[in-house]
Amino acid sequence: MYRLALNMLFGDRAKLAMLLCGLAFSALLMAQQSSVFFGIMSWTYTPMVNIRAQVWVSDPMVEQVNDAKPLRDTDLGRVRSVDGVAWAAPLHTSFVQARMQDGNFKLITLVGIDADTFAGAPAVLTQGRIEDLRLPDTVIVDEWGASLMGRMGVGPDGKPRSTPLKVGDTFEINDIQARIVGICKVRRAFTGGPFVYTTYDRAKGYTLGARRTLSFMLVEPQKGVTPAELCGRIERDTGLKAWTSDTVIWSWGERSLARNTFWWFWTNTGIPFSFGTAVLLGLFVGIAISGQTFYSFVLENLKYFAAIKAMGAGMGVIARMLFVQAFTAGLIGFGLGAGMAQAIGRAMIEKGMPPFVMFPQILWATFALVLGISFVSAVIGIIKVSRVDAASVFRG
Amino acid sequence: MSHQAHTVAVRASGVDMFFGTPENQVVALKQADFEARRGELIMLVGPSGCGKTTLLSVIAGTLTPQAGTVEVFGQRLDGLGQEELTSFRRKNLGFVFQSFNLIPTLSVVENVMVPLLIQGRPYDEAQARALAIIEKVGLKGREEGRPNALSGGQQQRVAIARALVHEPPLLICDEPTSALDKDTGAHIMELVRDLSRSPERCVVVVTHDHRIFRFADRIAEMEDGRISRVVDDPKLLDTSHL
Repeated sequence: MYRLALNMLFGDRAKLAMLLCGLAFSALLMAQQSSVFFGIMSWTYTPMVNIRAQVWVSDPMVEQVNDAKPLRDTDLGRVRSVDGVAWAAPLHTSFVQARMQDGNFKLITLVGIDADTFAGAPAVLTQGRIEDLRLPDTVIVDEWGASLMGRMGVGPDGKPRSTPLKVGDTFEINDIQARIVGICKVRRAFTGGPFVYTTYDRAKGYTLGARRTLSFMLVEPQKGVTPAELCGRIERDTGLKAWTSDTVIWSWGERSLARNTFWWFWTNTGIPFSFGTAVLLGLFVGIAISGQTFYSFVLENLKYFAAIKAMGAGMGVIARMLFVQAFTAGLIGFGLGAGMAQAIGRAMIEKGMPPFVMFPQILWATFALVLGISFVSAVIGIIKVSRVDAASVFRG
Repeated sequence: MSHQAHTVAVRASGVDMFFGTPENQVVALKQADFEARRGELIMLVGPSGCGKTTLLSVIAGTLTPQAGTVEVFGQRLDGLGQEELTSFRRKNLGFVFQSFNLIPTLSVVENVMVPLLIQGRPYDEAQARALAIIEKVGLKGREEGRPNALSGGQQQRVAIARALVHEPPLLICDEPTSALDKDTGAHIMELVRDLSRSPERCVVVVTHDHRIFRFADRIAEMEDGRISRVVDDPKLLDTSHL
């Protein structure tokens, strides 16, 4: 009977198209909005991705990576003396204004890294060399930032330029010249500003000699010491907070700075509510359209279901037929919706638009919700058919 | 067991059937007695509202009467639960409906396969048997078409094929010719009579259509919820009120 149930479903192409549209739209909305949400949320811990180190050390009051609380430079020595530390390097991060050639200002994320070890330096440079950061007044700008800041610059002819900044171009940070010696490829951040890398000591100069400029310390454990183990030792010996660089936000690791950052934004901003509303909307739209369409499909076939009942099919058989129809539509609708979400995501990424992270969990959750919609639709149909009297087939 | 017990296919005795609330009750059957024999084609006739369809539903086990007994091929239906009635219908009954009730989104052969698939027969076996009976009703070559592409007479042939494909002992036909013209109706009744004529089968036809009375072995006339008389010759019936 299931094959016939499917033929009944596929035989009514108009209804099937409507049903699939509802389910696909619902799946698209849920998968796409969730992926954009997790994409944006993954930007919140971008520094953890761009600046690689096994252990990060911060002030004990720090809750997330974008909110650094300055440490004393002497803390670096204290950390280096902890048993199990292979090396520790200073890291400065701050938001400062950069002044472009056309006089415009742009908020940038200034990253000061250790000039000796280059610990925390960007992994991929598309132009220039990292070693050139040791030259006076030099910086490395990220690709997207170079493009953004390039549009604010002035060309050799004195007219506004439209090309990205390149090696050799200059701008100012707090009236101090910054000469570009490299362009790097890093992930964009939630805070939006371009990443400008320089040396830790020069960063001090750019921040006009702020009393404390040490934002984090990047630490490497000695061989045989796990990051979590070293974090415990650092906290015990120095009273500072030590974090692992694990970026799996689904983990329950208390020491993951990325995870803490993610959940800080989750609980302290309206982003989850906003995107959650869109996902719920997708769910309700799916239930409304699919439930309504499937119900009307059942209504249209009601006299045939009554005839099948009269011929001796029990409600169990008819219920299974309706489940087969609803779940098949759900499966196809999910495939279409998830496929469209993927396609939109790819297009967005290619155009450098907002982030899009489709975790397998998002697909599974969307799949479960679409099946939930199908289940509700089938149950509505089953209730209707169960109330039909088999004797009604003799009433014309 | 008496000879009569062997020949009786359907027996309903003292059947009462009411609809509605006690304050607003509609009497459909009142102490109705009915008997159909094996190997015969019996017609139930009478004016609208006399209880023909209700009696048919009671015999088919789709309605349970408030009083009386119903026996079909030796099986008492009163007292059976819904599941047992469903199972009984699956094995023993074939239906031909007034409006055909062919599923428009299925092909002809798929429509005919339905009773066999309900019985749990494998798809291939059901398909083979359906194709064989479609040939018998003269629709070879139309198996893969949709019912809507067929004429009314052809659709009713499909319905007859569907009703007989699982070889049920009792064939129930509800106004099988009411949607058909005179000639097509006559052809359909010939088909019903030819295909269902068997000592182990009984055909009960509810009809208003006096043009097909000649196909009946006996005709039971109903009036006010009971059988008023049974005749062997249609000429004995006064058809003016039918």
